[in-house]
Order: sequence, then structure tokens, then C-alpha cells
Amino acid sequence: MGAGGRRVEMAAAISLDGVRDKNVMQLKKLNTALFPVRYNDKYYADALASGDFTKLAYFSDICVGSIACRREKKEGGAICVYIMTLGVLAPYRGLGIGTKLLSHVLDLSCKQNISEVYLHVQTNNDDAIAFYKKFGFEVIDTIQNYYTNISPPDCFVLSKSIAQDRAKK
Amino acid sequence: MGSSLPPREANLFKVIVKSYETKQYKKGLKAADSILKKFPEHGETLSMKGLTLNCMDRKSEAYDLVRRGLKNDLKSHVCWHVYGLLYRSDREYREAIKCYRNALKIDPDNIEILRDLSLLQVQMRDLIGFVETRQQLLALKPNHRMNWIGFAVAHHLNSNASKAIDILEAYEGTLEDDYPPESERYEHGEMLLYKISLLEECGLFDRALEEMHKKEAKIVDKLAFKEEMASIVLKLGRFEEAEKMYRFLLVMNPDNYRYFIGLQKCLRLYSDKGEYTSDEIERLDALYMSLRDQYSWSSAVKRIPLDFLEGDKFQEAVDNYVRPLLTKGVPSLFSDLSPLYDHIGKASILEQLFLHLEDSIRSTGSFPGSSKKEPPSTLMWTLFLLSQHYDRLGQYGLALAKIDEAIEHTPTVIDLYSIKGRILEHAGDLPAAAALADEARSMDLADRYLNSECVMRMLQADQVGLAEKTAVLFTKDGDQHNNLHDMQCMYELASGESYLRQGDLGHALKNFLAVEKHYSDMTEDQFDFHSYCLRKMTLRAYVSMLKFQNQLHSHEYFHKAAAGAIRCYMKLHDSPSKLTTEESDEMSKLPPSQRKKMRQKQKKAEARAKKEAEERNEEEAISSGMSKSGRRPNVRLVDLDPHGEKLLQVEDPLLEATKYLKLLQSNSANSLETHILSFEANMRKQKILLAFQAVKQLIKLNENDPDSHRCLIKFFHKISSFTSPVSDSEKLVWNVLEAERPQISQLNGKSLIEANKSFLEKHKDSLMHRAAAAEMLYVLEPEKKLEAIKLIEDSKNNIAVGNGALGPVSVWKLADCITVHRLLETVFDDQGAASRWKARCAEYFPCSTHFGGCRSSTLTCTLNNNLKNLPENGVAASQDDNLSDSHSLNGELHAFKDLKIS
Repeated sequence: MGAGGRRVEMAAAISLDGVRDKNVMQLKKLNTALFPVRYNDKYYADALASGDFTKLAYFSDICVGSIACRREKKEGGAICVYIMTLGVLAPYRGLGIGTKLLSHVLDLSCKQNISEVYLHVQTNNDDAIAFYKKFGFEVIDTIQNYYTNISPPDCFVLSKSIAQDRAKK
Repeated sequence: MGSSLPPREANLFKVIVKSYETKQYKKGLKAADSILKKFPEHGETLSMKGLTLNCMDRKSEAYDLVRRGLKNDLKSHVCWHVYGLLYRSDREYREAIKCYRNALKIDPDNIEILRDLSLLQVQMRDLIGFVETRQQLLALKPNHRMNWIGFAVAHHLNSNASKAIDILEAYEGTLEDDYPPESERYEHGEMLLYKISLLEECGLFDRALEEMHKKEAKIVDKLAFKEEMASIVLKLGRFEEAEKMYRFLLVMNPDNYRYFIGLQKCLRLYSDKGEYTSDEIERLDALYMSLRDQYSWSSAVKRIPLDFLEGDKFQEAVDNYVRPLLTKGVPSLFSDLSPLYDHIGKASILEQLFLHLEDSIRSTGSFPGSSKKEPPSTLMWTLFLLSQHYDRLGQYGLALAKIDEAIEHTPTVIDLYSIKGRILEHAGDLPAAAALADEARSMDLADRYLNSECVMRMLQADQVGLAEKTAVLFTKDGDQHNNLHDMQCMYELASGESYLRQGDLGHALKNFLAVEKHYSDMTEDQFDFHSYCLRKMTLRAYVSMLKFQNQLHSHEYFHKAAAGAIRCYMKLHDSPSKLTTEESDEMSKLPPSQRKKMRQKQKKAEARAKKEAEERNEEEAISSGMSKSGRRPNVRLVDLDPHGEKLLQVEDPLLEATKYLKLLQSNSANSLETHILSFEANMRKQKILLAFQAVKQLIKLNENDPDSHRCLIKFFHKISSFTSPVSDSEKLVWNVLEAERPQISQLNGKSLIEANKSFLEKHKDSLMHRAAAAEMLYVLEPEKKLEAIKLIEDSKNNIAVGNGALGPVSVWKLADCITVHRLLETVFDDQGAASRWKARCAEYFPCSTHFGGCRSSTLTCTLNNNLKNLPENGVAASQDDNLSDSHSLNGELHAFKDLKIS
């Protein structure tokens, strides 16, 4: 059985839920398991403030992944969304959960008149870069020495312009 | 009423009564005062004024007035009735009954008073009186349905069910044929079902069945009707008919265990103890296989066979049972299976199965022999199950390894943390268990169960302050009905036990007595139902509620609270001034300036508490309404003794202890603990015969119990040291003991030393028995102290064989080892032996904080929910504080490296 078949079978078991102050610990647990850095209070405040742009993904009632975003105001008043983190626990990868989370944010951006969604990614993280490119993200910049404690310290800025999408439609 | 008054005042008197009934107390008071202006000594008016004031929270005035009124008019039934109502409002039911009886002497046919009296009689279980009163009421008003029903119920409660049946039949005789009208159908149907249950109770199954056939159309509760019918037909031995009925009930609900039991009984395949021959097992297996085909969605039909199947068939069945539940993720799976661990041989089958499943999922991603890929969570749930399995078998190291792996796999599943906390608790690391439970709680702050579980663990770890702060998170500010006292008594019990462990007797007593209060409230709560249930005709439920109430104080939590209170009082008796000296010790350690500050602080706090209390009491007085019957809802005054200091100032602690002891003796007579406490208390009170009675009870319940042995030896050793009897009563006691001693087989023809020896010989492989024998050896022959200690130290911690685990499980229990340690420390007072014991047990119980095992934590946790202070993902160890700077905050890191995108 291929991964594709497995995916169809299990898609029904995946659902998304918002982050609130009562369950924010779930997001913290995920981040501890997924990322080598510890996020500060501002990260969680931004995530909570972003409303539906921050989501937990549940696989048959188990919280296994999350996307956390921050809404930013650009000069000129346009609003863009910055993806702070997106991750899925290792055993639950390959089930379409990451796709579901990202699609959710992109769809919502579309509905809410967001001009751009962007993020940073470490330059050697080829899988992640390929993943985002599949969704129409493009590398628009490289920042040297973005990270302090990990190697390589450089990152790409990936961005997807949402207004274009709407024009196409 | 008010007869001796002129017309104007007589009318005013009616106003008082009316105002009382409609709760317009101020109006009533005014009317009373204007009568009293002219007739200041009018008895009935004085009484009514008192009753009115009672409802306005002016208790002492109320009693004064009512008593004065009665003195002025002893011949008035009103005055006596009012006096009774006053007592009733204070729950002084015995006094109230006396008052009502006096009122009835004057006015024997007063229906209102008779009815009030009957309620008190059934509340106090004065069943003979209740029958009489109900008979009078029926004779006075035979056209009232309630009076017939009340009379029947009274006879039933007074163990005369057949008389109750006769009364109900007579009542039915008074009804028209077309009874009941549409609006009364349910009530009538309930009456009929009640009557049928009475017939069944009397063993009159044929008549019951006949009645059911005759009245079927009039019975509204069809399900109860069908269940009752099946049960009666079964009792009549008409098995085939009954079988059909149970099968029909199963169609309606194939998850009701009672229906399955009924069906098995019809097929004569039922045993209370679950013991079956191999032939029976085969037939049962076939039965459930066919039922499984019929009710594939029923979980009962799959679960029940696990109880009777054995060996390979069991293994196959349990394999089929757990697989889908592991796939689905059912956190309660282990508690569903845990009764199977009491069946011989099943534990090892389960272990082999679970390990086999784990191995297969790990290596192939599927269950053995299946090509279907399992979801990723299946491995985690399998590890979860295995860890609980090892916990159950006492293999805590393995249990922790499995649960840690599960947490590593999916760190967001809350149940994993709760279970890890529980394992650590069993393994003896209470602070770490509390920290884990707190971690679980932090993951869903809206879950009250997790909150309660955490509070419980904190109390077990003696973190009382923290526990209270955590519990309070689920109470609402200012909401009287949701404060800590109103939460379950489990909280107060655990809190009291923790305070008792810490030697804070005041707080401990306060909590234990609060639990007792819950139970007396429950007793009190039945009061309203005596009239309500008769009116609503929910008679079957009513009678079963009364039966439950009769047993109320035998409930486990009451037992524990009463035992705790008795222990507190005994400690108080042993060292009465302990608390006060300790306090002054603490004070004297401080320099004078700080001492002064502390006193000031205490005073301020006290003043503040008092003020708050008063304010709240006022609020309460305003907000509390009055019930129509004049019984005020129980107004809780704010605590003026928050630390239980007043409770410690009792005159005679042992007298208080005796109160609770009596409750235990009458409600928990089968518990060893009851009689051990009775022994301890009565020895302190020098009540030789009562102590002896306790010893006899202990021997009767379990002569092999170490504590029974202790009490027996201690008792006879103690009385042998008494000087020979002088007074007559002493001689009498002596004679009794002289006569009884030969009847105790343990002592028959033996000295105490010999009895102790033979007890040791009989139980030489058990640690706790050896410890008891050693302790008694030391009591009997203090010079043999070293020999006694050697007895304990020579005990061997054998490996359990039999019901089994595959790994080594040692026999000794942690709690027992701690008890022995305390024994060495305190009774034997041998610090060398105690520390040798400690070192030895630290090996057996590496997680135990008591023994300072190598894996135990002395982790302290704070309520401060700061992430950096919390243990990470179940690892109970402090972490470096490595908050990242703002740049690396935007993390899109290597978590994606492994993200396969298909």
C-alpha cells in the first residue's frame, strides 16, 4: 500500500481546532518536541492574537501538529501573515496534516483580504523549501546570520502573494 | 386558634398565621405586636411571634418567646405545635416529636400536626410510630390517595410487605373502573409497579405475574414492566419463556449487562463467582458467538466472554478485543481489562499478547498477521497499555520506561502524563507524581477531572497549600454554593489525611468533621422526599432511597473520615498541649522585633477574617430564603475557626472519639480498622471489657491479621500487669476475662510468649507478620530487643510466582516496608537498624522518596505556571533556561527535514 492510499484512508481522522488560553500548553508541548528553540511569551501572545490563523491539528483526537502565525501591518495599511511555526510530530508525518494546516491559512488569507503570506526557513532545509514551493511560495530574499545557535545560520525568506491568486480567479 | 381573643384581635391572629405561611414576616410581626399591646401575655401570639422571628434569623429571641408563650398557655396545641416546628427547624427531631405528641394530646385529630409528626417519624425511622400515625391519618381522611399510599409504605418499611399489599388492594377497591384519568396515568402506573415489586418481595410470583397481565395497559413505564416480567418469569422457573423476554430486552439494549446475566440464568449458565466447567464454558462461548453475530455493535457482547474464557481461547478473544480499541485509541482500555488480572493465569497471557502486538507494530506497522497499516497512534496506545500493565504488576521500572517512550512518541496526549503520575505514586515518588499531575492539568485548564486528580496527588505529597490553590481554580468568587466545602468530600478527606500525617491536628480534625457533615447533610436531605415521593408516587425509588440512607454511614469515605477523626482525638489525648507548645517554640526562635511583627500580622489577619466573616454572614442572611414549611435552608455561617484551633480545645478528646467509634461500630462492623481503633481508644480509657470485645471481634474477623495478633498480645500483656482486683466491679471484670481466656484458641494452654512464637512460626514468610511478632517479642521481653530486630532484618523479599508476570516481581509492598521502617525508628528506637532497613528498601524501591531511592526526585514544584519551571514532556527534572533571542524566534527549523511530502 502506498503512502497515497494511506493518506486517503486517514484524512477523515484529521481536524483543526483553535488555540485558546486553556489549551495553549498543547502548542507549547508541540514546539518543545519539534523545534530546538524555546519560544517566548510574545510568540504565544501573537499566536493567540492571530485568531484563526493559528491552529492545532488533531489526528483522531490527538493533537499532533500546529501552525502558528502572526498578523503584521505593512506600510500603507496592507495586512500580511507571517508563519512563525508549522510542524507535525514525527510519527504523524506524511498524512497530509501539514498540507491541511497550510491550506487552511492560505484559504483564510484569501477570504480576509491578506496581501501576502511569508516565512523564514533555514537555507539547508530542502524538504521544507520544496513543500512551500509546491504551494506557490517563492524565495524573495536571503538573510545572513539570521539564527544564532544553529548552523547554517542563514535563512531564506519565502513569500506568496495572495492578491495574485484572487486576480487569477 | 386565638379563641380567647376578642374578634378584632382574633382576626389579627389569623393575619399572623397567614403571613407566616406566605413568608411576609414583617407583616406578621406587626400584627403580633399590636395584639401583644393589649394582651401582652397571650400565649399563642407570643409563640407565633417567636416562630416568625425564627425565620428572620433571630434565634434566641425566638426560643424565649415560644417558651414564654407555651408557659402561658400549656393547654394550647398551637403553642406545642409551634415549639415542635422550632425544634424541627434546628434539626432537633427527637425534641420536635415530643412537642407534636403533646399537641396531639390536646387536639388528637389535628391533621396538620399528624402529618408533620409522620414525617419526623419516618425521618427518625420510628417505624412503629410511623405506622400508627399513618393509620390515624387514613382513618381521618380515607378519601385522600396519599393517606392510603402512606399507610401502605409505612407497613412496608416496618417489614410487613404483605400488609402493604392488602392496603394497596383495598385502595384500588375504592377507585372507579375508568381510573386513572389521563393526567394521573403515570402515578397510577408507578403504584401498580410498586405493588408488583411488593408481591415479588413476598415471593408471591404467581400473583405478581397475574397482576401484571391484568394491569399491563395501565402501566406507563413499559421498560420497567418488561424487566420486572422477565425477572418474575425467571423466578417462576419458566426458563424458555423468560429466555424469550431477555432476548427481546437485548434487542432493545444489547449493552445492558443485567440482560445478559438474565439470559445466562435462563440457560442455567450463570455462576455468581464466575466458576464454570469446561463444558459450560464451551456452551457459553457458543452463546456469545451467536449473540456477537446478532449485535455486532455491542461492546458488552465482546467483553463478557473475556471473563469466562481461559487459555488459548482467552488469548484469541482478548487479542480480537484489544486490536480495534488500540487502533481507535481508547484511553480507558486498561481499566476495562484490569478485573482480568484477578483471574489466575490471565496476566501473563495479556503480557505476552501486548508485547507481541508492540513488536509487530514497531517492525511492520501492522498487527500480527494483518496487512492493514495501523495509524501512527496505535504504537503509542500499545505502549500506554503496556505501561499500565507493568504498573499493575508492580514492575514500576518497566512501566516508566514504556510510558516515557509513549510520551516521546506523542507528547501531547494528556492521559500519558496522568498515568505516569499514577505510576510514580505507586512507586513511592509522591512529589514527582504531583508534578506530573500538574503538568497534565496544565495541558487542559478547562478540565475539572484533571484539576481534581492533580489536587489529589498534591495532597498525597502533603502539598496542602498548593493543592488548595489549585482546587480553588474551579470555584467561583463569591459563589457560596460552589466553594471548597461544597466540592466533593474526597478533597476534605485527602486534605485531612495530609494534615494528620503532618501532625496538624486542628486542620486535620476540621477536614474530617467536614466530611462527617456532608454525610449528616445527606441524611438531612431525605426529609423533603417523605412528602414529595408520596405525592409523586415514585414509590419504588423512594423505598430504595430510604434503604440507601439506612446504609449511608457505612460508605468508605465516611469510614475513612471517622477513622481519621478518631486518630486525631487519640493523638490529642496522648499529647494534649502539643500544638500550643509547638507554636510558642516557633515564636521563641524569632528575635523579639520579628516576634512582635508576627503577632501584629496575626492579629490583623484575624481581624480581617472576622470582618469578612461577618459581612458574608449578613449577605447570606439576606439572600437565604425560607422554605414554606418553616424549615430554613441550611445557612452556613462563615468559619470563625479556620484553623480548627477550637476543635483542639475539647474537654475530653476520647469522649469525642467514642461518638465516631459508635458510628463505625454500627456501620462498619466488618472492618478490622473499626475494631483496632476501638481497641486503641478503649485501652486509653481503661475500659477493659470494651477493649476485650474489640480483640474478640478482630480474632473473629481475621485471626491471622498481624494487627489482630498485636491487639491480642498487647491486651493480655497489659492486664497481666494490673494489680489484683480490689473493688467489686474490678472483680467482675476479672471474672469475665478469666472465663473467656480459655476460649481463645490462640492462647489455649499457652503463655503469651509461646503464642507469639507459634504465630511467627505459622507466618514466618510474611514480612508484616514477622514485624508484628518481633514487636510483640519486644513488648513481652524487652531484653530481647536485638533478637526482635534480627527477626525483621532476616525477612526475605521473595520473588512472586504464580499469577504471572514474566519479569521479577518482589512480594514486599512499599507501604509495608515504610511501616516497618517507622517501627524500627519509633518503637524499637534503633536508628542503626532503621537506616540499614532504609538502604535495603532503597534498592527494592528506587523511586521511593521515603527511602531516598536512586531514581526518586525531591522535586519541588511551584504553582507558578512558568514554562521554564515546568518539567518538560514528563521528564521530572529541572531544565536549563535557554530562552532563545528574538532572532531565532522565527523558527522554521529542521522539524521539516523529515517531513515527507507524498
